[in-house]
Amino acid sequence: MNSPNNTDSLHPLEIQVLRELGKYPQPLSDLQLANHTELAPSQVSMAVGWLLTKQLVSLSSETTTTYVSLTSVGAQYHQPNSSPLEWILQTVKSAAHDGSSPTVKDLQGTGKFQPSELSRAIGILKKEGVLQMGAGGVLEITSKDSDTMRDLRSLLNQVQEGARPLDSFASDHQTLLRQYAVKRGNTQEPFRIDDHTERTYVLTDEGRNLLPHLREGAAQEISQLTPELLKDGSWRHVSFRKYSINLRPPRLAVGRRHSYREFLDTVKYKLTSMGFQEMRGELIETEFWDMDALFMPQFHPARAIHDVYFVKNPKMAKKIQEPFLSQVGQVHRDGGTSGSKGWKYEYDPERAKRLVLRSQGTAVSARTLAQNPPVPGKFFSIARCFRYDNVDATHATDFFQVEGIVLGSDINFRTLLGLLQLFATEMAQAKEIRFFPAYFPFTEPSVELHVRHPKLGWMELGGAGLFRSEVTIPLGVTVPVIAWGLGLDRMAMIALGIQDIRDLFTSDLEAVRNMRRHF
Amino acid sequence: MPTISIFQKDFCRLVGRDASTSDIEQWMPYVKGEVKDVSQETGEVRVELQDTNRPDLWCVEGIARQIRSVLNKGMPPYSFFSEKRGAKRRIQVAQGMEAVRPFVAGCVSLGYAMTPDGLDQCIQTQEKLADAFGRKRETVSIGLYRASAIAFPVTYGLVKPDEIRFTPLGFEEKMTPQEILTVHPKGLEYGSILAGCERLPLLWDSDGQVLSFPPIINSRELGEVQLGDTDLLVEVTGTDLSMVVLALNIFACNLADRGATIESLDINYPYKTEFGATVKTPLSMNQSQRISIEAIEQALGMPLGSEVIQEALASYGYQVKATRQSVSVTLPAFRNDFMHVMDVAEDVAITRGYESFSPIMPQTFTVGSLSLEEQTSDRIRDLLVGFGFQEIFSNIMASHQELVDRMRIADTEYARLVEVDNVMSQTYACLRPSILPCLLRVEALSPRAFYPHLLFEVGETAQLDLEANVGSRTTLSVAAISANSGANFSEIHSYLDLLMYYMAWPYELEPVTHPSFLEGRVGRIRCEGYAVGYIGEFHPEVLEAWQIDMPTSGFEFEIRKPEA
Repeated sequence: MNSPNNTDSLHPLEIQVLRELGKYPQPLSDLQLANHTELAPSQVSMAVGWLLTKQLVSLSSETTTTYVSLTSVGAQYHQPNSSPLEWILQTVKSAAHDGSSPTVKDLQGTGKFQPSELSRAIGILKKEGVLQMGAGGVLEITSKDSDTMRDLRSLLNQVQEGARPLDSFASDHQTLLRQYAVKRGNTQEPFRIDDHTERTYVLTDEGRNLLPHLREGAAQEISQLTPELLKDGSWRHVSFRKYSINLRPPRLAVGRRHSYREFLDTVKYKLTSMGFQEMRGELIETEFWDMDALFMPQFHPARAIHDVYFVKNPKMAKKIQEPFLSQVGQVHRDGGTSGSKGWKYEYDPERAKRLVLRSQGTAVSARTLAQNPPVPGKFFSIARCFRYDNVDATHATDFFQVEGIVLGSDINFRTLLGLLQLFATEMAQAKEIRFFPAYFPFTEPSVELHVRHPKLGWMELGGAGLFRSEVTIPLGVTVPVIAWGLGLDRMAMIALGIQDIRDLFTSDLEAVRNMRRHF
Repeated sequence: MPTISIFQKDFCRLVGRDASTSDIEQWMPYVKGEVKDVSQETGEVRVELQDTNRPDLWCVEGIARQIRSVLNKGMPPYSFFSEKRGAKRRIQVAQGMEAVRPFVAGCVSLGYAMTPDGLDQCIQTQEKLADAFGRKRETVSIGLYRASAIAFPVTYGLVKPDEIRFTPLGFEEKMTPQEILTVHPKGLEYGSILAGCERLPLLWDSDGQVLSFPPIINSRELGEVQLGDTDLLVEVTGTDLSMVVLALNIFACNLADRGATIESLDINYPYKTEFGATVKTPLSMNQSQRISIEAIEQALGMPLGSEVIQEALASYGYQVKATRQSVSVTLPAFRNDFMHVMDVAEDVAITRGYESFSPIMPQTFTVGSLSLEEQTSDRIRDLLVGFGFQEIFSNIMASHQELVDRMRIADTEYARLVEVDNVMSQTYACLRPSILPCLLRVEALSPRAFYPHLLFEVGETAQLDLEANVGSRTTLSVAAISANSGANFSEIHSYLDLLMYYMAWPYELEPVTHPSFLEGRVGRIRCEGYAVGYIGEFHPEVLEAWQIDMPTSGFEFEIRKPEA
């Protein structure tokens, strides 16, 4: 069946309403539907609401009528001799029979009615001359009858049978009803007058066409299997309502990894699967490990490309580990034993102690080199780094750098290219790659890796090079070392559908919950 | 990394062959350049140069020269570097300069009438060299003059700030150096270089005409080069003689490439320099280096052989003499970036093209592994995700207000932070000592995200620790919060309890007082050897400070170095 309105998915209430409408050629109102089906008005209105959405029924007419109905106060008044007028006359009459005369105070003292109800009733009876106030405030009955009392009794009896349209009453009775109807500020009244919009409904053609297909016994269908049904086996005797399975389900609040962190997780597992060992470092570094050990001269413009955040307190580290301070200082001054001419300037060992927020992940690699690492060895770090940049769509205040080193006696320019080719296939599923000459202060030769990503097209994937001897020799490493770094943020942002780098670390929970990898 | 403008026509003339913009792009690897932008109408190409050690490439002449050399398989040396005769003109350096701005170099350029392209490029080169290479004129600044009006010898000496008056560029009236420092835009921009000098540097000729007030401004009469000028004086002053000479060498080669004849100047110093008391400039500073063929072959992983290496280096502009085992190389005079044999090896690779080296896949066996910290943090993350917590990933830098004031810990022992000295924005002035403020920030910004909110983050924090060598410790912490209408201590305690159970970390809670949490509903987490931290219901004042309307409880503990 191609129709979106499969009868199997109709709720039992809907089926009852459809059937009822199908019995009559003329439209039926909510009230009529409720009466005929013996459903509660709320069930009818729920079912009608669904059927309207499914366009199986349509609205036929809409008329607003003013109805009079009895309130709970009115239901009390309706009991014999229970309206204030009747009760007062009854009470005074029976007291007179006993030879006593109650005062207004005595009546109030019984607590049967509110003082305002009593005083209004007494006022009416006095005005009609039914009641007189004698000496000492005692109440006495005359021989007259109360018209108001009689009219009210008649109205109570009429309305008690069911809500009636106001205009079905004579006009003087309408006035009386309005006087005794609930108003704002006075809820102790016997009648309620309110507008009721009556809507009538008819089947649409589609609804009528469905009639022959409606299930029998739908009223006995159940929607939820319960432990009780299972325990006593009664599920065997019921049928289960079929659902509209294409409706959107309710949303859930669940536990989940952060999408960007998940992306970095795959990077780290990829690297360990390629034989890389993780290194970790400190967020706060000395200029020595952040720059000097990487042969960035203390004076050179190359240092300006790594604008850094300085630490306020303390400003300086206590000491720099020897022999590295002396050896690095020497290589800056004249090349030391590295085979280099050095930068030829007066290296300042005090400046080396200046504390900075780590500006490049290569600082972690430098520290690893100084710890007598195994050869051959492969290392990586995913290090939080900080740059003194204005924060905008392409610059975050802190961000991650994925980098590392490879040590080995077989390392040379071609094995460097081989490693990059491996990264291209493993990290970017790229088959086409290009190498470009590049410049980094701490590597020579230096290479930039461009790859053709299957989704993103040509992109720069990373940079790498052979660490300069000026870096490795002062740290005690005599074999060649590859230093590499991968620029994965652009890939991550596109994979996560993010345009602004700040959104990788967003504090908007809705955005975090919605973030997902598209590839 | 400087970015410069070059113009296609001008570039082609300098390379000596027609080239499309895509040719230019193809040649960029020879100069470690990247084309950023091309305007087809004007022929302007924006090029970014990577190599901060090759200032000779920060101009169209230098880029064209390097590419021309590779295409022509070499280039003849510039003759003016090998001029043996004494110079016709000289600059006399006066006593006292060594304390202010000790070095000067200069040359005269004849026979090239300044074209619009040439003038634009001269100005761009002057700016890039003085700015990026000369550290905003502090170590190197450059001046150009109309040589025909100058009576040599020129004196480079000192004057009192109000001793002399001349008309600076950009002004109509004569001013003293003191007035220039206080009024002229260039004086205001660069005056700090001369801060504390009682007497100021000045260049003047033998007729007493002022050339310039270096490194601030040229005189208008002699120092305003115009289109069509044929005779130019180029002068460089600065604090580092090698850098001063290198900048002049680059300028001299650039003008020679445009057709000028370069004549040297003798610089007479009253004090000794590393090149003697009289320095003839331009000056080639490079000596020949003997490099073993084997070292280059080993570095590049290819048995290229002496001949191939010799040819490659000659193509790249080196002067080369080779034997079977070694090669003697001298860098051209416009370069001064040789430090190590690897620098030469890279130039061989660049000339031959990186694509001509076939990659070799790494063969060695190594065992990959994650650090114990990372393994522990992954286990905790997995558990908390399973408990229904959404992971959050925050920046580590935050504001003092977020980390201290809103956490109600101002002026307490908990308010010890690692702060940044050169603050760029108050929003990022400190490193977080705790992750909870980052999670509260998420809660504060997300009242419309449907509840409940269970959030966590495992990450680094920085603890101020004056005992430590760097004055702080980087620690790994785990933090979690629960925000919902029924959030309370026992709910978050259940999560902590479960986490500690699965980590097999026996722990205790010790009743304490902590300003961020409600009194009597806060505990110190103690877990011998593994963890230390706090758990509690956040104080309503903390929630108010964050403008959070939802009851929130949380915990955070530091993961002590896990044992293997």
